[in-house]
Amino acid sequence: MSMMKKLFFILYPFALLSLTIFSYFFIDSNLTYLKDFYSGFAYKHRYSATFFYLLILLIFFTLYILLLKLISKKKIDFKDLRYLIFITIALLLFSYPAMLSFDIFNYISTSKVLFFYYENPYIIMPIEFAGDPLLSFTHASNKIALYGPSWILISAIPYFTGFGNFIVTLFSFKLFVSMFYLGTVFLIWKISKNLVYVSFFAFNPLVIIETLLSGHNDIVMMFFSLFSFYLLMKKKIIIPAFIFFIFSIFIKYSVIFLFPIFIYIILKTIRKQPIDWKNIFYFSFLLMAGAFILSPIREEIYPWYAIWFLPFISIVFQKRTLVYISVALSFGLLLRYVPFMLFGTHFGVTPFLKISVTLTPVFFVLIYVFLRDKLWLKIFSR
Amino acid sequence: MIRYFWIPLLTLSLFKIFTNVSFAQSNYVLPYPPPMPGSFLYKIRLLSEQIQQYWYFGNFGQFSYNLKQSDKYLVQAKTLFEYEQYLLGEEALKKSDMYFKNSPKYLGKAKEENKNIDRLQKILKEAASKHIEVLNEIKTHVPEEITWSPEKSQPVKIFLRNKLTEAIYIRQSCL
Repeated sequence: MSMMKKLFFILYPFALLSLTIFSYFFIDSNLTYLKDFYSGFAYKHRYSATFFYLLILLIFFTLYILLLKLISKKKIDFKDLRYLIFITIALLLFSYPAMLSFDIFNYISTSKVLFFYYENPYIIMPIEFAGDPLLSFTHASNKIALYGPSWILISAIPYFTGFGNFIVTLFSFKLFVSMFYLGTVFLIWKISKNLVYVSFFAFNPLVIIETLLSGHNDIVMMFFSLFSFYLLMKKKIIIPAFIFFIFSIFIKYSVIFLFPIFIYIILKTIRKQPIDWKNIFYFSFLLMAGAFILSPIREEIYPWYAIWFLPFISIVFQKRTLVYISVALSFGLLLRYVPFMLFGTHFGVTPFLKISVTLTPVFFVLIYVFLRDKLWLKIFSR
Repeated sequence: MIRYFWIPLLTLSLFKIFTNVSFAQSNYVLPYPPPMPGSFLYKIRLLSEQIQQYWYFGNFGQFSYNLKQSDKYLVQAKTLFEYEQYLLGEEALKKSDMYFKNSPKYLGKAKEENKNIDRLQKILKEAASKHIEVLNEIKTHVPEEITWSPEKSQPVKIFLRNKLTEAIYIRQSCL
């Protein structure tokens, strides 16, 4: 075993464990279910919390790049990767999910409106159930269901496996989302048959943090849309693919951007014409990146929206400039949490800082690409 | 010096003259008049009403649905009475009464499910108060009774004010 590989296998589980422990510093004081773990550290020591968060991010991105290098040099094989994915899921499953976003509480309260109170979550808001213990820490309780009906329906699985216990429900939602992460990684493997491509997605710190730590449902949407593509690509079965694609649209709606591509694939499949799948995934990436860029029209760019395009860029890994931009953007998006973590407010300088920290890494990558492609070539061609 | 006194006084006087002060009895807001009978949109409205009945499942949902329909039919009745379409107006009032009577039933059911109904009860009271305000206003415009003469049957007398008094009575039970 090479030195680097050894180092990685020691440091990576340690980083995951650190993140899991660190996440518990962010427990909300209103979350009485976890009052024994409440320290208030992240709110009382904002500078230290921000420092540790930045340190963890740097460690994760360094390890990510190291891992990609090790895999491309064939120093890490399929078996190693399976083990790494397993420990990533296993260790982050026990992390506190509302460290960076409170969405998981919205998922639970929305499913509670339907499956416990038997009311329509598109009409009745969680806040209408005065006295419900979830209200003290659910942030969007004054809104009707924000997600599509497919998500609300399948959220019955983690909701009922929680057996009415909040903590069990919370972690069953995390486990549920983790299974879709695993499914998406598996599909990328089935489509690409390339360990680097798989790792590029599976170990991207943004994917790990937003999916396995925060438990965002974007991965569920992406799994079903990718699965529908996979069915058309490998099995050529149109109706199930269509059903899964529609199902994915009704999880979070943004995959509707892929609809023209999906229709194009179906038409080509019916006519039995060859399909350039590399181009299909490339254009899927572009469309979902478009949806991501347009997201501020609705609200703002949230870091987990990057999950809309990351599975596609993983499959068209040859587009190196886009790969670099995606990594830089992943880093920048995770930095968006820093201003709030530091100042404790969404107002003042925070919005400006959020945009700045998101774009700065991308800007540096663009400079790097420009220098590499233009200047260096010019210098060496003289 | 005197202008410092006259300017504010003049401004206040103008403000008093040109602004209408309304003394609303209830903050509850009724909807705009919906599509009226005879229009194509009215048929669509009836269809959507049927579909929405299922969409608004659950006791809170049914409470909202019934109150919403009651509001709509009350506004419809008011508009039709203003246009002296008494027969259609009376039918709309009947529907508004029916939906209004249903609303507290669903609140009762929700209470049986241990749901906190305080907020919705308050909404129901406000709605009842607003409805009574509107019904009293209609009462001043409509005749005591009208005789409706259908083409192929005997004329029928409709005691409009009695109907309105009845509608007020239904709402008063929720105050």
